[in-house]
Amino acid sequence: MTALNNNNNSRVTDSNKVSFIFDGKKYFGFDGDTVASALLRNNIKIVGRSFKYHRPRGIYTCGIEEPNALVQILSENDEPNTRATVKKIYSGIKILSQNRWPSLENDFGYINNLLSPLFSAGFYYKTFMGPKGFWKNIYEPLIRRSAGLGKPPKEFKSKSIHHHHNVDIVIVGAGLNGLLAASKFIDTDYDVLILEQDNILGGSLNSSQKIKTIDNLDTRAWIKKTEDLIKKSKNIKILKNTLATSYNQINHIIALEDNSVGKPLASHKPELILHKIRTKHTILSNGHIERLISFRNNDLPGIMLAGSFEKYIFRYGVIPEAEPIIFTNNSSTFSLLKSLVDLGCKPKAYIDARDESSIEKGTKNILEKNKIPFYFGSEVEGCDGNKKLETISIRNKEKKIEKVSGSMLCISGGLNPDVHLFTQSKGLIKWDEKYLTFKPETAFQNTITLGSANGNFNFKRVIEEINEKLSLFKINELKIDLESDCPEDLNIIELWETNNEKKSFWSKSFIDIQNDVTTKDLHQAVSEGFDRIEHLKRFTTNSMGTDQGKISSINSLGIVSKILKKNISEVGTTIYRPPYAPLSFSAIAGRSTYEFYDPTRKTSIHSWHVKNRAIFEDVGQWKRPWYFKKNDKETMYEAVQRESKELRNAAGILDGSTLGKIEIKGKDALEFVNLIYTNAFTKMKPMTARYALMLGEDGMIKDDGIVCKINDQHFIVTTTTGGAAKVLSDMEEYAQTEWPHLNVYLNSITEQFSTFNISGPKSRAIMRKVFSDVDFSNDKFPFMSFKKVNYLDTEVRILRASFTGELGYEIYVTPKYGLELWEKFFRYGENLGLIPYGTETMHLLRAEKGYIVVGQDTDGTVTPLDLNLNWMIGKNKKDFIGKRSLSRSDTSRKGRKQLVGILAVDRSKIIEEGQHVVESSSIPSKIKFPVKYLGHITSSYHSPTLNHYVAMAMIEGGNNLIGKKFYVTQNQSSENISVEIVKPVFLDPENKRLLS
Amino acid sequence: MKEIFSISGIDIFQRDFNQIMIRGNEHEQLNQIINTGVSLNLPNENLKIVSNDNILIAKHSFDQWNLIYFNDQNYRDVLKLVSNLNSNNQVLASDYSYGQVYFDISGEKKNYYLNKLTHFDLRLKKFPVNTMAQTLIARIDCSIYHLKEKYIITCNKSFEDYFTQRLADSINL
Repeated sequence: MTALNNNNNSRVTDSNKVSFIFDGKKYFGFDGDTVASALLRNNIKIVGRSFKYHRPRGIYTCGIEEPNALVQILSENDEPNTRATVKKIYSGIKILSQNRWPSLENDFGYINNLLSPLFSAGFYYKTFMGPKGFWKNIYEPLIRRSAGLGKPPKEFKSKSIHHHHNVDIVIVGAGLNGLLAASKFIDTDYDVLILEQDNILGGSLNSSQKIKTIDNLDTRAWIKKTEDLIKKSKNIKILKNTLATSYNQINHIIALEDNSVGKPLASHKPELILHKIRTKHTILSNGHIERLISFRNNDLPGIMLAGSFEKYIFRYGVIPEAEPIIFTNNSSTFSLLKSLVDLGCKPKAYIDARDESSIEKGTKNILEKNKIPFYFGSEVEGCDGNKKLETISIRNKEKKIEKVSGSMLCISGGLNPDVHLFTQSKGLIKWDEKYLTFKPETAFQNTITLGSANGNFNFKRVIEEINEKLSLFKINELKIDLESDCPEDLNIIELWETNNEKKSFWSKSFIDIQNDVTTKDLHQAVSEGFDRIEHLKRFTTNSMGTDQGKISSINSLGIVSKILKKNISEVGTTIYRPPYAPLSFSAIAGRSTYEFYDPTRKTSIHSWHVKNRAIFEDVGQWKRPWYFKKNDKETMYEAVQRESKELRNAAGILDGSTLGKIEIKGKDALEFVNLIYTNAFTKMKPMTARYALMLGEDGMIKDDGIVCKINDQHFIVTTTTGGAAKVLSDMEEYAQTEWPHLNVYLNSITEQFSTFNISGPKSRAIMRKVFSDVDFSNDKFPFMSFKKVNYLDTEVRILRASFTGELGYEIYVTPKYGLELWEKFFRYGENLGLIPYGTETMHLLRAEKGYIVVGQDTDGTVTPLDLNLNWMIGKNKKDFIGKRSLSRSDTSRKGRKQLVGILAVDRSKIIEEGQHVVESSSIPSKIKFPVKYLGHITSSYHSPTLNHYVAMAMIEGGNNLIGKKFYVTQNQSSENISVEIVKPVFLDPENKRLLS
Repeated sequence: MKEIFSISGIDIFQRDFNQIMIRGNEHEQLNQIINTGVSLNLPNENLKIVSNDNILIAKHSFDQWNLIYFNDQNYRDVLKLVSNLNSNNQVLASDYSYGQVYFDISGEKKNYYLNKLTHFDLRLKKFPVNTMAQTLIARIDCSIYHLKEKYIITCNKSFEDYFTQRLADSINL
């Protein structure tokens, strides 16, 4: 086989020669070539090995539908499974063939082909059943190692981005129909977006010479004129190199733009752009896909779809073979035949499955005039050759086999409208007996299909169809003449597969070339009972490859319908799922990776924390100081122990700005707060505060916080950091839907205040220094009261409260002065031993005091009664959220899990969070019978003040078990730790420190 | 005012504004206080804006308004208006001044640029001048106000670093 150049008559010129590397060897192509066209130009026949049998494979198509020519791009982070028929070359691109070892020519995996008689449909399901343990240790590792095509790419930092569009009309495909449709919208009020997968407009106009003139201009001149007009219009935008991959609900389309076509990846630009488009109407003019015919060894390198062969000639300027053989069952191959003859090439033979009487006159005239061997009423029985096509066996109209030598066979089994996007949009398709294909019938969304995407293969009807289908828009009618000498009708006959004469174990008639599924597999699947097309698909893996069987899925329906003796419309179709073609994860992720993986929130003190060696913890999206390292060597454990000790001895300050804060105001604010929380607030004095619980309607604890009462009409409440947004939205929902009669308004003020929690015996002294005008004495500023204090040109709210068990204050200040005030605390507090502390220390300190953390000691199944927080329930209150549920039989039953304290009998033992509390001293290494489990450890910390671990646990009937001894399991040992159940307050049960 | 970047077709500045979030149903009473305080009437229609050179008032929802001072304002005056509004028991006014950050985005490519970060339909026919929206920009909750030839975007201050980085990142890619 020798390829010829047709660059003078194509869209790829030979002005720019480009070198590229394929499998380590240097070749030359031209600027604009795809990997496939460049390889064909260099007479490379084998480009890869098949998925299962490792059979040599060549280039089968010329577009996104390619099943065979998948390659790995070494120069682009080893990107695997790239379609050679789409990927454009550039100088220096390095390409590697896939799924072969050690080389493409001599692949060890070919042994699978020799063993192929064993690998029938369902081989895996039937074979890897036993013996026990083999799956995990032998089969799975082996299968995983040999599975897949290509190698995973190297780690790289994606720069893909997303781009959103809102338009009135999207036109998918800028071929003849797309451009004609777009030209109707030029300078109208409609915002139009055109998506074209190629880097030039024109679609099939560039791939053949089926259309002679449009509007009395040759096709290229017309494309240029139309493109210029579109570019000048302000309402139409064109996205080239952009493939529509998904058509979702409410006219939402996803399209992928390759931003580095024909050039190396740029470090400063996104390589892929994922366009997310919301439109009012979608025009699908995305054309059709040619299908194959199954015959013996129809996968040999050298076999190609006829339309693709023609596309290589005119789109890329390469004639893969001067004397190909053509095999068809329809009249679409007329233009290929004519083009080859016009270019001075003479097909070696023309095989047509139709009767002579059905074949159009024009075809017969060319064949006769050029003395091209012509086989009508005939078919290809099979092909033979060593790693490439060498001989074609033709079953002639007398049913006799004739052999013809040849290196290239162009086949056409008919044309399918490209209905993938249409069916993704939930549009209904219908079998067309005339064209033997599924055509769009009823759109589910605002979808219009045009041209061959609509099953219209007659150029003479194009203008009429566009004017008719776009008549709902108030735009001018098209009046354009198209000149074509192609047959008006496809005139197709049914031919899905031909009969094999040569029975051989290793001859195969493929239906799905990418997944190595044969027609025999379809027969076997049906005979084994998989006669529903969706079952059959999964059993055989037919059309489950990355190409979704674009060139073969209808053929498989045809074959199955024959086996089942049903009409194809009765067999039905499988579902075409998005994406239309594979999307890389980097495109889907866009910029939501690495530093932008999740939005981050920082407090106004963040920069100080960074300077002072804070190690941060993610709490929701917030970055909170977890602990502060004194020096590089200090471990987390050491830092937390130090911070705890120093706070209990002097004072510590925590950045609590992340706590949720909600301002509640209105005539009925008091009633609202009474309904939201379990506590009673009616008798609460103004300017005092209360620790409060919020329940769900199921009576389970949902959140907690402090309620500050300014007066009966005005409250400020705090929430947990993670619960802030949910609590506000729940409050708003109740206010608007359950209690609309209440006059109450809510504002989130989380961000409006920087909040510091200062704790420790020296905290009062420090507060006195910072706020010298305020009387912090116990009498004037008792526990759970708050004051407003002037500070510069604003006010600061100071609340006396504590989550550590020490004397403590919370300071709320505008973020404008947050950092300044924080630093002031250190200026005044350093001499008194003030230290910053993080969330881990806060957890330790509160656990010593027996304070719970919602979400750690509770898990959505815990009531206030379970935590012995009965005192927080306003018993005389008429109602509050969750009240009714607290008296349900399950929530009030004895034996529920209750919060207790846990101490190891041997105080030196380490109790781990999450471990089980059990009755036995050890756990058998193999558990044959259930071990009685009482509950689990919810919190556990080493207390530097007490010098042993303190833990809390939720255990069954905990309140009645105080003083009893049980065991706690360990992670690394089957021996359990002997523990004592105690009350969950380990430090200062009399609150002397708190109230000092 | 801090320049985030300024290139052909896009100018982004970070601004220091003051802001008050107002909630209440007593439109007339509210209007009176506002009118006395800032000489503007509250907009009646949801998502509409009234503004002058100094102040913008937007109606976020049926009982929620937002007042933004464009110019340097004495902070005590802002707090005084908050206090005046809160003197009515049926009104809630919260000072949002320093808990929010403000970005002024202008230039002919502003829509193209912002659509890298938001799905929101910014076309003039869908998002006319003197309207506002609350939507996701760079995956966080933002308010966007359409003034003549520019947008003011606000988001929570805690997102300031993240949002500024995303703005710069999108201009580079």
